[in-house]
Amino acid sequence: MNSLASQMCPCGSGLRTVRCCGLNTAALPPADSVRHLVPLVERAMQAHKQGATETAERLCLDVLEMAPDRPGALSVLFEIRRAQGNHTAAEALLRRVVAFDPNNFPATNELALMMMGKGNLGEAEVHARNAIRIAPQNPQAHNLMGMIMTEAQRPRIGEYHYRQVLELSGVRDPILIANLAWNLKNQGRMEEARTLYEESIAAAPEIKQTLMGWARLEEADRAFDAANEKLDKMDSLWPDDAGVMMTRSVVLGRQKRNDEALAMLDAVAAKSPDGKLGANELLERGRLLDRMGRYDEAFADFLEGKRIARELSGHVYLEDAATGLANRLRNFFSAGRLRTLPRASVRTDVPQPIFVLGFPRSGTTLVEQTLTAHPRIDAGDELPLINDITNIMPRMLNSPMAYPEALAELWMGDQREGLDNLRDWYLQKVEQMGILTPDSAWFTDKMPLNETHLGLISLMFPEAPLIHVIRHPLDIMVSAISNHFTHGFFCASALETAARHYVTVMDLVQHYRAEMALRYVPIRYEEMVDDQESTVRAMLDFVGEPFDEKCLAFHENRRYARTASYAQVTEKLYDRSRFRYRHYRKQLEPVIPILQPVIERLGYTVD
Amino acid sequence: MEPIPEPKAANAGIMVPVPLGELFTLAAECERAGKLEQADSLLGHMLQANPNQPDTLHLAGIVAFRRGRHEEALAKMEKAIEFGVDTALYLRNICEVYRTLGRLDEALTTATQAVRLSPNDPLCLHNLAIIQYERLEIDDSIATAERALLMNPQLPGAHFELAEALLLQGKWERGWDEYEWRFQIASAAPLMPKTDKPQWDGTAFADDTLLLIADQGFGDVIQFSRYIPWVAERCPNIAVACAAEVAPLLEQIHPGLRIFQKWDDVPPYRAFAALSGLPRLHGTRVDNVPASVPYLFAKPDKVAVWRDRLDRLTPRGFKRVGIVWAGRPTHNNDRRRSSTLAAYAPLFNLPRVALVSLQKGPSTDQTGKYFGRAPLINVGTEIQDYDDTMAIMDCLDVIVTVDTSVGHLAAAMGRPAWVMLATAPDWRWLLERSDTPWYPTMRLFRQTVARQWSDVLDRVAAGLRERFAEEAPPALAAPTRARRTRAAVT
Repeated sequence: MNSLASQMCPCGSGLRTVRCCGLNTAALPPADSVRHLVPLVERAMQAHKQGATETAERLCLDVLEMAPDRPGALSVLFEIRRAQGNHTAAEALLRRVVAFDPNNFPATNELALMMMGKGNLGEAEVHARNAIRIAPQNPQAHNLMGMIMTEAQRPRIGEYHYRQVLELSGVRDPILIANLAWNLKNQGRMEEARTLYEESIAAAPEIKQTLMGWARLEEADRAFDAANEKLDKMDSLWPDDAGVMMTRSVVLGRQKRNDEALAMLDAVAAKSPDGKLGANELLERGRLLDRMGRYDEAFADFLEGKRIARELSGHVYLEDAATGLANRLRNFFSAGRLRTLPRASVRTDVPQPIFVLGFPRSGTTLVEQTLTAHPRIDAGDELPLINDITNIMPRMLNSPMAYPEALAELWMGDQREGLDNLRDWYLQKVEQMGILTPDSAWFTDKMPLNETHLGLISLMFPEAPLIHVIRHPLDIMVSAISNHFTHGFFCASALETAARHYVTVMDLVQHYRAEMALRYVPIRYEEMVDDQESTVRAMLDFVGEPFDEKCLAFHENRRYARTASYAQVTEKLYDRSRFRYRHYRKQLEPVIPILQPVIERLGYTVD
Repeated sequence: MEPIPEPKAANAGIMVPVPLGELFTLAAECERAGKLEQADSLLGHMLQANPNQPDTLHLAGIVAFRRGRHEEALAKMEKAIEFGVDTALYLRNICEVYRTLGRLDEALTTATQAVRLSPNDPLCLHNLAIIQYERLEIDDSIATAERALLMNPQLPGAHFELAEALLLQGKWERGWDEYEWRFQIASAAPLMPKTDKPQWDGTAFADDTLLLIADQGFGDVIQFSRYIPWVAERCPNIAVACAAEVAPLLEQIHPGLRIFQKWDDVPPYRAFAALSGLPRLHGTRVDNVPASVPYLFAKPDKVAVWRDRLDRLTPRGFKRVGIVWAGRPTHNNDRRRSSTLAAYAPLFNLPRVALVSLQKGPSTDQTGKYFGRAPLINVGTEIQDYDDTMAIMDCLDVIVTVDTSVGHLAAAMGRPAWVMLATAPDWRWLLERSDTPWYPTMRLFRQTVARQWSDVLDRVAAGLRERFAEEAPPALAAPTRARRTRAAVT
């Protein structure tokens, strides 16, 4: 026997590699030839149920050595490994169960949950959809879809599935009610959410997640007393709970009671086993310290928070993927080629998009809140649709190639209307999301970094206003390092990679603008802060809507922005965050050379 | 000529020593023959061996200059003068480098020194005359050119310089005659293949073909094509040789023109004339320029397409200002006449104005770096031909451009064309005036400081504000509030 054949699988399943992650599915024995193993699988299940784990494990390993595709044995072994905390093996085994037994509802359900837990919402969605296909009347399947869609910032679709659960189950489960409340809170439907929390707490008064969600709702709705009331209750039920203290610190911070907020975080740290804060807490404390003018400490917290987040999530900037895509876009979208490509026609029967473009943390939320205070402009928030289109394009255009090369199909006689189809897909999804209100003419799409796809957007929506929010790149960096976001190939996992991705995208924007005629206008965050009215007037002029006073009082716009900026846009326009980088000159030194060309191009200086 | 020895031959093993004097002769031959790369390489070696040899430095400077490395050329030539022997020659050449770099004071000093050291060299005077023209010392320039012609009456460059100065002063009658010398300049592109047919003298004939040649830049073609109807009254059978780009324009000027784009296709003819020579034959003076516009028109179907497209791309109710900031980079005066998009900054904050870039060529990429307030619509990349340009201009309120063919085209269409000129402009724009006898709808904005565009664009911006304020419809009832919403600092 050679060494490869005897090697144990590195995933830790206890199986040999050739029977586990290195399995050759073509060489599997026919199901009939291993039928005599069925009793062994049944015994394994029995043993597992009775708590005889060692026996169950031994039986599973024996069965899988001979028949590595037996779902029953795989399922039992998966449960054993998961209970042991061996997540790598558990995931590998569960994936194999789903692969060999695609109609296995519990396993599919489990895998979707697992992916959601890891933050891999894309894959979670795939399995959740399968779960619904397997069991369209199963409330749990809809519950799963509801949770994933809520997390993926498509709360309207999530709401639909949560309501399916209510209908199919015929009971008003308090946890489900709380989940639906959280969903509605994310849609800014605060009153409805509050009513549901009340119902949920009445039925099950002591669920921590429910009370926490309610407290966060009140915090987001600026009802700080109500938030504190919930937190007080939690304190009495679960004294010294880190999550409660963290939320309390956030509430204190929003009330500008910075010292108390800081003390609360220090108490959280003191309670943790190693005396340290986690990634999110560190970023929160850094932001507090920043507001208090303790900049060196703040930046140290930011860096440490990012370091821990990198370590835990394994997310690092996917630079090769990012630059590879940028190069392909640059090659594809050239003036010569653009002359030969068709453009989608413009629909006049439905509201049209306004694209608010910009790097995350550049002020896109502020611009969107301002615009959508206008009675004729609805808020779409961060719509994932352009990204979705880049993924489904090969299918939509029947192309063997990926985006952007798939656009070459537009030269084919049967795909001349391909762009109209993509446009309609986008508009239909918007419709489904429930963004649109009766009298609106426009809706916003402020997905950050949509400027990466400026070429595609202008082919699909040749008339759509493109508002690019520009801000001092070093200020963006300070904001990127002090907040968590995953946009842009995880570039914000470290300071330097955020800078590099920013430059990649800005160079791409420069390319698009040199190669094609766009309805594009840059809006400077700093000018917005300096002279709000004329900037707002300029934006509305550009869009083609009359000025409306409401846009100046956007902080009274009760709509809740889901993104990290929400706490800022509910304050009146302030200039604390303008040229904030000056406090961090020393810490930003490594990225200044990277950003210098763009800083100059945008007409900023470093001082 | 013998093959050039390659001193850098890496694998040769032995290097045959060549006396430096011989190498210099070789390098000079290469320079004269236009083999600049070889000359460069030879001179580089010679300078390694003998870094202060003035003739080598001077020749290396000339080669660097001809290859576009102007700063390096200047450094080499300055060093040549420092160690120099034949200083008059060095000075005669270095003054041209200074002029190209816009250092007109040093250009004048060195050119004057060259004349003093070598008073019998008409080429020194010729170079001085060019510098004086560029310094806008036109009387001096005329006097200098005339002195050069006293020494050598057959010096075409001096005649041409004299022509430009006279024409710029509005002394067109004498100017046109001197202007005829342009075809004799050695470095000038030949007007046409060799011919034994005479140049047309303006005499009418109906029984044979007259060949017109659409010479010089496209702007000149647009400007001087206005004489074609006048020619047709004298010689109805006209064939025109022209570049493909301007053929559609000439077709509009006079129905029945026979237009050719290849010399082989040109039919037999009795006489020929360059379009740029027609003002002389016509006897054009500043006060009798035939200038009825429009004489060029956008095609209605093209206009419909572009109007629709611009309506989509431009915010509603915004004025549209077409802009062009650079000419063809191969134009010999391009450094003086071309600007940059960044220099148009005074236009970036005009309220309710959209800038429509008609820029073509390598300067187009500057649109990617534009972050001004006024929306900028880069249609330049979509322009295929002059039909597109005309259709777009038909949809614009004003066209602001440096001295390129776009200004001529807009003005020939009777559109408001605002042309920005270098301190010493092309002769056709005359001196000081802000209008031009050539085009009634054209407005000229002149540089006051050489190569400085900022104040010119300030004046353009002020002009646009004024124009749009006049055109603005009576203000609607909506009162604007005086209060400025400064952010609350919390």
